[in-house]
Amino acid sequence: MSDLGPRYPTEKPVQPYIQYSYGGYLYGKYNSLFCAGCGYGIIGHLFTRMFEDEKLDPKLYPLIIGVGCYTQIVTLAHYKAQKITTLHGRAPAVATGVKMANPNLKPIVFTGDGDCLGIGGNHFIHICRRNVDCTILIFNNSIYGMTGGQSAPTTLYGAKSTTTPYKVFEERSDAVKLALAAGATYIARTTVAHPRTFLKYFKKALNHKGTSVIEVITPCLTYFGSKNLDNLGAENLGLPGNKMDTGGKMIEWIKRNTIRKNQAKFMDDNELLNRYVIGEFRYDTSKPEYSEVYAKIQKVAMGDD
Amino acid sequence: MSDKDTKRYLPEGKYIMMGNVAMAEGALAAGLNFFGGYPITPSTEVIEHLAKRLPEVGGTCLQMEDELASINAVMGASLAGAKAMTATSGPGLSLMVETISMAANLEIPFVFCDVQRVGPGSHGPVTAPHHNDIGLVRFAGHGEFQVIALAPMNCQELFDLTITAFNFAETYRCPVFILSDAYLGHIHEPVYVPSKEEVIKRVIMRELPQDYSKIYSYKDNDTGAYVIPKPPIIGTDYYPPTALQLPHTTQGLPTSNILSFMEILIEKVKSNIDKISLTEEYRLEDADIVIIAYGLPVRASYRAVDEARDMGIKVGVFRLITVWPFPDEKVREVVENCKAIIIPELNYTGFIAEQVERVKKPETPMTKIPKVGVFHHPDDILNVIKEVSK
Repeated sequence: MSDLGPRYPTEKPVQPYIQYSYGGYLYGKYNSLFCAGCGYGIIGHLFTRMFEDEKLDPKLYPLIIGVGCYTQIVTLAHYKAQKITTLHGRAPAVATGVKMANPNLKPIVFTGDGDCLGIGGNHFIHICRRNVDCTILIFNNSIYGMTGGQSAPTTLYGAKSTTTPYKVFEERSDAVKLALAAGATYIARTTVAHPRTFLKYFKKALNHKGTSVIEVITPCLTYFGSKNLDNLGAENLGLPGNKMDTGGKMIEWIKRNTIRKNQAKFMDDNELLNRYVIGEFRYDTSKPEYSEVYAKIQKVAMGDD
Repeated sequence: MSDKDTKRYLPEGKYIMMGNVAMAEGALAAGLNFFGGYPITPSTEVIEHLAKRLPEVGGTCLQMEDELASINAVMGASLAGAKAMTATSGPGLSLMVETISMAANLEIPFVFCDVQRVGPGSHGPVTAPHHNDIGLVRFAGHGEFQVIALAPMNCQELFDLTITAFNFAETYRCPVFILSDAYLGHIHEPVYVPSKEEVIKRVIMRELPQDYSKIYSYKDNDTGAYVIPKPPIIGTDYYPPTALQLPHTTQGLPTSNILSFMEILIEKVKSNIDKISLTEEYRLEDADIVIIAYGLPVRASYRAVDEARDMGIKVGVFRLITVWPFPDEKVREVVENCKAIIIPELNYTGFIAEQVERVKKPETPMTKIPKVGVFHHPDDILNVIKEVSK
């Protein structure tokens, strides 16, 4: 085997993004359980990067993780982060309990599209309504990846999945619109194809007092990409469809399929069908945070007021 | 002593309390910090009372959006170091069992007040008692684990046993149920509240351990004993590096040794059955006929036994305060030499009768007195005693 040369490149890569490796901070030491082409590796890395760069105290930022492929992020996210794996859809409820029992903590909730908008939709609405101080990251791959590619509430119109072999004919639910209606105070959407924007929004969310919701569009190559063509979302433009068989093609599709919020203002519903509008949708610091309000109630009850 | 501490404990003395309020006060005395609940008849007085009382003592009482959210918030709060509790009735319990199973897996302690009402279904005489959840709580959820269930019979016990339930939850790190019911929850009775010092002596508080090397329960291979460390608290150093819902080792890391994990979850409770199993014997010394009862029917049984003894019938009551885990050995001892067994239960199936059937001698006759939605009148039991003593 010696004639093949060293197994790993000895030279330091020159790309600016990976000048400083965060690999050593990953819990799993480079071991990823995700499929090739999955976006969760990027998210795990970005989370670790933020955790390390901002020197977040792991005792103050518990990680509350729902059920989906991203649950395996426990093996990728920063090894120091304290994690709670919860039941399917119940992560926002657990976050409410953690925050109210110890108001010094600021939970970071990892949840998915099926987890947060399907089974746990009710808890998501009510954590936004209460404005509990926490950061909710919704990873939207528009499919139920862990169970084998069933359709999700966010599956795009006309897409195929294992439970919709004749294509989806339902309207998809929109996490951002739901959060806007429910009353979350910081709402943004980005994709894994825009990592620097993600870091910017994530940092803003961590410094925001109140419920912050960031929807992250991420690719599922194994179950979504393999079943659908990359003209999905642009059928009305008459583009020919190509197979999405590599991670790169899916990232390209996501990039092509996203529209900045400012551009979307000038587009009608037909043009926005199956597109992802990215940007910041609300940043409201005027609304009080729930545990602070409750502390006031406790003061009144104790008779200190 | 701060103001909130004085408000937590009622001044020593006798109070007239509703059952549900006695349960809530018992929980406060046991150090309750967090209550998450959803209104359901007949348990609503618990959340109503705690909504007023908990903020006074610096705790949190949340009315969540549904039962699923309330039990999950309770789980989160318990992980964050609070003594947490929820209260519900049958339909709510049915919704919550998934989380109970998860909490049993991760050994998160919490107390669960079940004010039982008529079932199945969500409609009908919901303010009438029916000990139907007793079967559900035994295996509350998917997977294998052992729960503890306590059955009080009056308001005084609702107060006292709630403290005991919190202590069991802290010690054994398993879901602990208090099986009240619609009538018991709404009776007004005198409750003696001990002094603050007395109460504090009884309560096991949540604290960090000395040793951080073990977080989840394990079997000590040298002594064969099951060791249960203190529950982990998020936001401190005493927390596992990862919390997977998988069978885990003592450090919370996933393991493939599922059988021994199941053994630990079940045996950590069952091996301590002598300490957990609370029972009461009433005029049982020379009894030929044994009444085995728990909860409300015990009251009618005591009266019936007194009347039967006046008639010269040798009869006594063996009362289960701890219903689950079922004390096989104790019951076997009691029913070994008796001539007949009578089991008045507030359900048709006879969940405890099934257990007694298992441990009694096959030839000993057993009579069930099922009732649903109504009390056992002492005469109901007395008639059966007369019949079997013939």
